[in-house]
Amino acid sequence: MYGVRLLCALLALGMLLMLAVAPAAAQDCDGDVIELEFMNWWGAAREALMDELIGHFQAENPCIRIINQVQPWDNRSELLATAAASSNPPGIIMTTRPETYQFAIQGLIIPIDAFVEEHGTDLSVFYAGEVGIQYWNGELYGLPMPTAGGLTSMFLYNKDMLREAGFDAESPPETWQELQAAAEAITQGDALGIDVMGIQMHSGNLDEAFVSWLYTNGGKYVSDDARTLTFNSEEGVETLEWMLSFSNNVNGGIENERDFFQDTSFTEGDHPWFDNQLAFMPINTSVFGHYNNNDPEGYANADHWGVMLRPYNGDNPDGAHAGVTGYGFSGGWAYTIPRAHPPEMQAAAFKFAEFIGVHPQGGCAFLFAQSRPAPVKACNENPAYYDANPHWGTVLEGLATDTPIPITPVQGRIAEVLRGYIEEAFFGMKSAADALNEAAAEGQAILDEFWAEFDADM
Amino acid sequence: MNATITRQHDASWRVRFQEWWFRHRSWIGFLFILPWFAGFIIFDLMPFVYNLYLSFTDYQIGTQGTPPWIGLENYLEIFNEDKLFSKSMYNTVYYLGFSVPLRLAFAFLIALLLNMRVRGMELYRTLFYVPSVVPLVAATLIFAGLLNTRYGLFNHVFVLVGIPPVRWLSSPDWIKPSLIILSLWGFGAQMIIFLAGLQGIPSDLYEAVAIDGGGGWRRLRHITLPLMTPTIFFNLLIGVIGGFQVFAQVFVMVGVDGGPLGAGLVYMIHVYNKAFRDFEFGYAAALSVILFSIIFVLTIALVYTSNRWVFYGDGAEDAT
Repeated sequence: MYGVRLLCALLALGMLLMLAVAPAAAQDCDGDVIELEFMNWWGAAREALMDELIGHFQAENPCIRIINQVQPWDNRSELLATAAASSNPPGIIMTTRPETYQFAIQGLIIPIDAFVEEHGTDLSVFYAGEVGIQYWNGELYGLPMPTAGGLTSMFLYNKDMLREAGFDAESPPETWQELQAAAEAITQGDALGIDVMGIQMHSGNLDEAFVSWLYTNGGKYVSDDARTLTFNSEEGVETLEWMLSFSNNVNGGIENERDFFQDTSFTEGDHPWFDNQLAFMPINTSVFGHYNNNDPEGYANADHWGVMLRPYNGDNPDGAHAGVTGYGFSGGWAYTIPRAHPPEMQAAAFKFAEFIGVHPQGGCAFLFAQSRPAPVKACNENPAYYDANPHWGTVLEGLATDTPIPITPVQGRIAEVLRGYIEEAFFGMKSAADALNEAAAEGQAILDEFWAEFDADM
Repeated sequence: MNATITRQHDASWRVRFQEWWFRHRSWIGFLFILPWFAGFIIFDLMPFVYNLYLSFTDYQIGTQGTPPWIGLENYLEIFNEDKLFSKSMYNTVYYLGFSVPLRLAFAFLIALLLNMRVRGMELYRTLFYVPSVVPLVAATLIFAGLLNTRYGLFNHVFVLVGIPPVRWLSSPDWIKPSLIILSLWGFGAQMIIFLAGLQGIPSDLYEAVAIDGGGGWRRLRHITLPLMTPTIFFNLLIGVIGGFQVFAQVFVMVGVDGGPLGAGLVYMIHVYNKAFRDFEFGYAAALSVILFSIIFVLTIALVYTSNRWVFYGDGAEDAT
């Protein structure tokens, strides 16, 4: 009986508190709470972290309510296109760099320079390369989070497998030649193809893999003014020839390589890495969080795995460790604000974008929880990172090797062309030189057409 | 007297109304089809006309106001410059060229078996139809697993019996055959239609063949097949139209790039990519119009040629 009375009393107290708080909140906002739909792709374990971030933001901004709309990866481009083009788009959208540029030139999103000035947002807290790639035609369209860097400059490697093959696990391969020697010693086949793979030569798109290796061979994808494609240079041909020779001679060809990874996912935890079937794997900085989630014991054992920088061509004096940023699909996420909304909603959206970008409880905390770097320099200086990620020093070193690539809103189309020709080379239909030359000619035509229209409009 | 006149007046009014009603009774039918007709206008015809209009414009995502009119430019680009147009069309025609006849033959064969007088036939019919109620995406994912080179059931069986494994989804040579195998999975709908057709064949015709000394082959050749031609024609037509529009299973199984070397890039995936990857909606609309035209012409041709081989049993075949 006493318990029931106590419960009733607590309920009554709770209702009184709600009644007292609700008018106060409404009073602060003059009765208006701005609701913003936040279209993003922070799914899996990151969704709860994003909810936490949103909670912190709303505590500081009670008049803005963020609705976390995590989207599925399937049909991503369709979802994004229809949302961005609709008359009632989400309040704020997470876009990749090519999408940001595309939407910017089509007038679907607004530049945020005026907000930055009004709020006194200090852009110098970001790495210059990270915020720099969010500008199109001299205007800033979004604040970055996570880093565009660290997407191609690093490899995860399995120290146990390296030791078993007779190599020094604390001195991972530095050059292409050392990498190939290690891979040849580790790779094993069976009746169905590859059973144990030394190195994953390419993950995802072939063009992105080629461009990443190209920069370790002293080559460049495009001229600094983004007007001339340069990937078919001597360095480019040499890079693709090495990739083809490696793929054919060590892994038995591209079909073998693709079969090995068919229907596996690092995010889902069924990747060959977790079964000690893969020794070297190109990574982006999201893998640390996924690794920790899927195999906490393995992740905690720093003696089992390591991080190394992408090997370079040891035969080329200009070869060096390198990564590229802002090239392709996942290079350079930002939070962009649709033009279709009224100014007060756009202002609210900027507040949230700024919170994600620079606030300690925003992107900093969100990325720290995933053991991955932030685009804000000060965040990465947190000494706790060294406990959260046993190879933090190498991660920072990898970020420092990254080179931002100048791109245009037609980057997606050019990448598609390059991908097609490189695939033909992998299937033996074209030589490396022919594939790159034809891709460059076709890609350059797309680029020239874009610049001609752009210059005419200016 | 007045009352009599009123009754006569009422009667003549009723008669006139009944005559009017009889003359215009077809309107009742129109009233009943009105909901469908309204749906057709709003959800089919209007989007079709608008799509036709868009195909002559440079409508891209973000286009504000009226999209710029560019005449035949989209069509000229498709025919003169778009390498993926011919590639995706070839892949689609290859797919339907094999999948439609194979599926028809398979469905017809199963329907013949399910038309036999065997105990427990209802159970067999249910079992054979069950795959057709599995959602397409789920069935595709199951097949993707079965066709996995390293872990799929097919290859493990092959290796056990000494056949080299097949790279179903990683070899450009095997992508289309894999999609064709998958297409056989959904034979149930056609099988049901065939079964209904088979059960409509009068048994006295078979008895007549038996009296003449004809066996199973003669019954099939001279009775079943001719009388099933309207059903075969219907399934063929639906199969061809569906084959040109194949999308979901390819999208799920090999993705928007169409797998290695784009070997599985079918036409609808190309349309999808143009609309939702390149955001060129006007161009995608033109591609859709071309596909519609091809299907339309082919349908007309099939209907026209059907007069030569479809037996309706009412002398229609003699009209040619």
